[in-house]
Amino acid sequence: MKIYPYKRLGRPIALRVTSVALELADGTREPLDTSAYSTQQQAVALGVAGHDWVSAVIGVSATLPPGADAEDAPWSDLRVLAVLTDGETNIRTSTALTRDTDDSRDWSGSLEIYRDDHLGRASLAAYAVATVDGVAGRSIAETDRSWTVDTVSDEPVAGLQLEVQKASFTKSSREWLRAYADAPWIVDTSARVPTVFVNSDVDGIVGLLDSSASGVESKVRDLLVAQMATDVWTAVFHGAIGDLEVEPGGTPVFPTDWQGEVLREMLPDVVPGVHVEEALRQVHRRRTGDAGWAELQTRIHYAAIRRAEASKALGYAIRSLEQANRESEK
Amino acid sequence: METGEEFGPWLARQLKLAGKTQAELADELGLTRAAVSAWITGRSTPRPTVMADIAKALGTDLGTVHTRTTDTQAGLPVTWYHRPGYPDGGRELGNAAAFAFDADVQVLARETCQNSLDERLRENGRPVRVRYTLHELTGEHLDAFRDAIRWNDLFPHYQAVSELAAHQKVGRVVDAGVRDMYEKGRLVLLRIDDYNASGLIGDDYEDGKFAAVVRRQLESLKSGPSAGGSYGLGKATLWATSALGLVLINSTLSVPHEGRTERRLIGRLELPWRRVHGETFAGPAWFGRPDPDSKNGEVVRSWWADEETAARLHLTRDSDEPGTSFLIVGAHDVASLEGDGPDLDDQIVEEEGDEDTRDIKRMHTRLVQALGRDFWAAMTGGGGRLPLLEVSVRALRNDGEVVVEETKVDPSVEQPSRTRALRAFYEGTTVDRLTEAGQVAMRNVPLKLPVPGGAAGGTSGIHQAVLLVTEADGDKDRPINQVHSLRGNRMTVRKATVPRLPIGTNPFQAVLLAGAAAGDTAPFAEEAEQFLRAAEPPEHDRWGQTEELTLRWSPSAYRRIEGLTREVNNAVRELVARPKRTVREGGEALRKALTVKSRPKAKAPTGPVIPVLKNLDATIGAAGEWVIDAEVSIPRGDEIVPMVPVALMDVRSGGRPKLDWAELEGVEGCEVQEGVLRFTPGARRAVFRGVTDAGSHPVRTALTRLVVELRAGKGE
Repeated sequence: MKIYPYKRLGRPIALRVTSVALELADGTREPLDTSAYSTQQQAVALGVAGHDWVSAVIGVSATLPPGADAEDAPWSDLRVLAVLTDGETNIRTSTALTRDTDDSRDWSGSLEIYRDDHLGRASLAAYAVATVDGVAGRSIAETDRSWTVDTVSDEPVAGLQLEVQKASFTKSSREWLRAYADAPWIVDTSARVPTVFVNSDVDGIVGLLDSSASGVESKVRDLLVAQMATDVWTAVFHGAIGDLEVEPGGTPVFPTDWQGEVLREMLPDVVPGVHVEEALRQVHRRRTGDAGWAELQTRIHYAAIRRAEASKALGYAIRSLEQANRESEK
Repeated sequence: METGEEFGPWLARQLKLAGKTQAELADELGLTRAAVSAWITGRSTPRPTVMADIAKALGTDLGTVHTRTTDTQAGLPVTWYHRPGYPDGGRELGNAAAFAFDADVQVLARETCQNSLDERLRENGRPVRVRYTLHELTGEHLDAFRDAIRWNDLFPHYQAVSELAAHQKVGRVVDAGVRDMYEKGRLVLLRIDDYNASGLIGDDYEDGKFAAVVRRQLESLKSGPSAGGSYGLGKATLWATSALGLVLINSTLSVPHEGRTERRLIGRLELPWRRVHGETFAGPAWFGRPDPDSKNGEVVRSWWADEETAARLHLTRDSDEPGTSFLIVGAHDVASLEGDGPDLDDQIVEEEGDEDTRDIKRMHTRLVQALGRDFWAAMTGGGGRLPLLEVSVRALRNDGEVVVEETKVDPSVEQPSRTRALRAFYEGTTVDRLTEAGQVAMRNVPLKLPVPGGAAGGTSGIHQAVLLVTEADGDKDRPINQVHSLRGNRMTVRKATVPRLPIGTNPFQAVLLAGAAAGDTAPFAEEAEQFLRAAEPPEHDRWGQTEELTLRWSPSAYRRIEGLTREVNNAVRELVARPKRTVREGGEALRKALTVKSRPKAKAPTGPVIPVLKNLDATIGAAGEWVIDAEVSIPRGDEIVPMVPVALMDVRSGGRPKLDWAELEGVEGCEVQEGVLRFTPGARRAVFRGVTDAGSHPVRTALTRLVVELRAGKGE
């Protein structure tokens, strides 16, 4: 629980993206359709135009909670900032917003972000800062849920999507894949975003995954997907837990990139009933300590299987098989 | 002085009303019959001294004879005429048209407002103004109104109907209406006035708007090709809304009738068949002046009332602008009890113990809501174009006591995003694609009009309807992702949600302007208007297969509307949804499975329970130390894990410096042993207090944020 040594606003700021435009390499500006962002998912996808852009201008509008302009408010010099933070590149861009009208609670402005500053997903938040008790620049309210600005994705979704690539393991220019030529898929967690390579040498696997057929085929596909997903989630969890920064006291620090996102979602299944920070400490202790790591494997496997929705896929597949059997008996 | 109609026609009518012949009047005045005839035909006017004699002969005052703005009260008094029972003994237990509607002020608003819109005077280009007044009468005001409508004459009829109550619907409704009036000592009047409309013009009996409303059922008179069918089936909602089946009417005519325009009054009562004082009555009854021309002089007709009579009947109009006032006596709103339609679920319903169908505040809210929802487009202007309609709603009690201030229905409040869209269309500020919040995108969508009179498959022309799409306006603009379709009269006919939108699509609202609404330059607008008009059922709430469509075009003509809907949905999806990507590697199913998203959490294992921090209160002490009071909540469980409270300094990134405790003590439900909180078994709540060691703070305390956590185990 967090405590500030000064008075703040009780409620969060509401932040909306109102427009997105790209500055292209040839100096022209291309406004994107509003479908490049999703107000429900709170996500902006800048990857729609491919890689041929230099910077993006994101129009934002923030609505302060009531009370920010109260006569008797204990602060002065109120300003509102939009802040873009990238946990991977550690770049932080702030832009001051301007009040729409003199008595309005809406502030708006636009934020310029450079493609070279970011690798993937950055988070966009708004802060109301003011001078409180004589100290300038104190934050008195923030957004409670940040927007995600993804410079690579072409789909505005809040959740991180792991990469999927198909490659012929025997002929790929990625020579390291050749060692796994007899595997139908392999997970690489050392990439920027964990990537699943699907071996196109295995006959029919690509077709099966791409298929949109119904019936038994789709059930088999879902079963395959569940199997792959279980592998992937297990691998990414280990990848994330094995590479933690540690505080001076030996406590692990929550990662800010994809590892953090994965851990935040999977830890509640691995160590249920405690806060994610506490869960991370327990997992870290078991991995680095003397005992308990082996016992934890079951929990990790369980978390991965849940995430992959394996039991659902299996259930559908079995029912579909039974049905097919019944029909063939007739 | 107000001058009424010509002397001649006026005198002729007064004689007729009084049942006197020209010769009889001549006798009374001591003049020749020729002299009276000359006045009536307008060849001469009587001398002033004779005027006084005429007034005396007609039993009125000199002023009335001079001004001639009202009829004399000389003739038969205003009274009720009940249609006698049919000689064949047939019984009608209610008006079939009124049966089709339940008492619902929202349906009433839709039907009446549509009528006013259709009857708008088009020549002056001004909007028709409609006002809904909810007026509750109690005490002496109720008594005075009952006298004015001759309640005592009506009461036996209501009594007779109440006796039938158990057997049929109308009887039960009427019985409940009368009982409510007596038991609660109140009566709700709902008055609907329109101004700048044509008024109930035409003869009392012959074809015309007056007869259409007052004398006939199911007849529909259309003022123009785009009209929704005014005063047709929908007028029955007026009577359906009255628990007493009683509606009074005052109309100011746009075209004079009998040389007059103002205060044409009549009342109509809808009751089922009944027997009163040994006589049988077919059903309907009229409140007016007996018509000497009718058989036995019993049938009543409209009369030109004086201002005082209009006032006593609560029918006074604001000005002499043409239009009609309908006064629904005993209005009730049964539909308000149903928790309101599916799209009104966010409405605040004030429950007051018993469910009251006559709560005027609630009716006010529901009227504003329905009018905003169905007529926002008619109320919207822009680009030099005036709106077609202005509507307000108010609620009063007794002698002008205001219950709800007159509220002008504001389309930009009721339908903010659609109003913005239509205004942008009128002002020509639409865009081709949406790149900024608040923009309005416009697309043309084709409606292929079939060939009239059969020939399936043929197309007589392609009408280009206009589709407008814009972002929904905040959380209150619900339901989202809907298309409102309308045609020339600008009433929302159809409301449909666009199907198959990708998840995460930004909420939007859309408008389809078809037929005459698509603008003057749209091709085949007139034909499309007629086609869609024919595809509208009497409820005017959708376009689809109707008999008229089948007869005028072909049985498959409605498929053209399905085609239009498909085009509309495609165009909307194109504007708001991301184009379907080329198939991505790995297939959609795998990608979905590899997205990090929240799932329901796994069940916590049984075993020792873990307390959590519930409340934290912290202040900075004199020496710069944090002084905290913390409340801990403990889940129910046999064994409680001991916890270590940890104080940290919050940082933006990296490790958080840990602060040492100078003091730590359990206040309630726990005790501290070597920095560990041990909880009293069975406790559900614990409180502890702590003070940090200011010496361990790396930064001045006033410039830091404090984080307190409870950790299991050793607290590292």
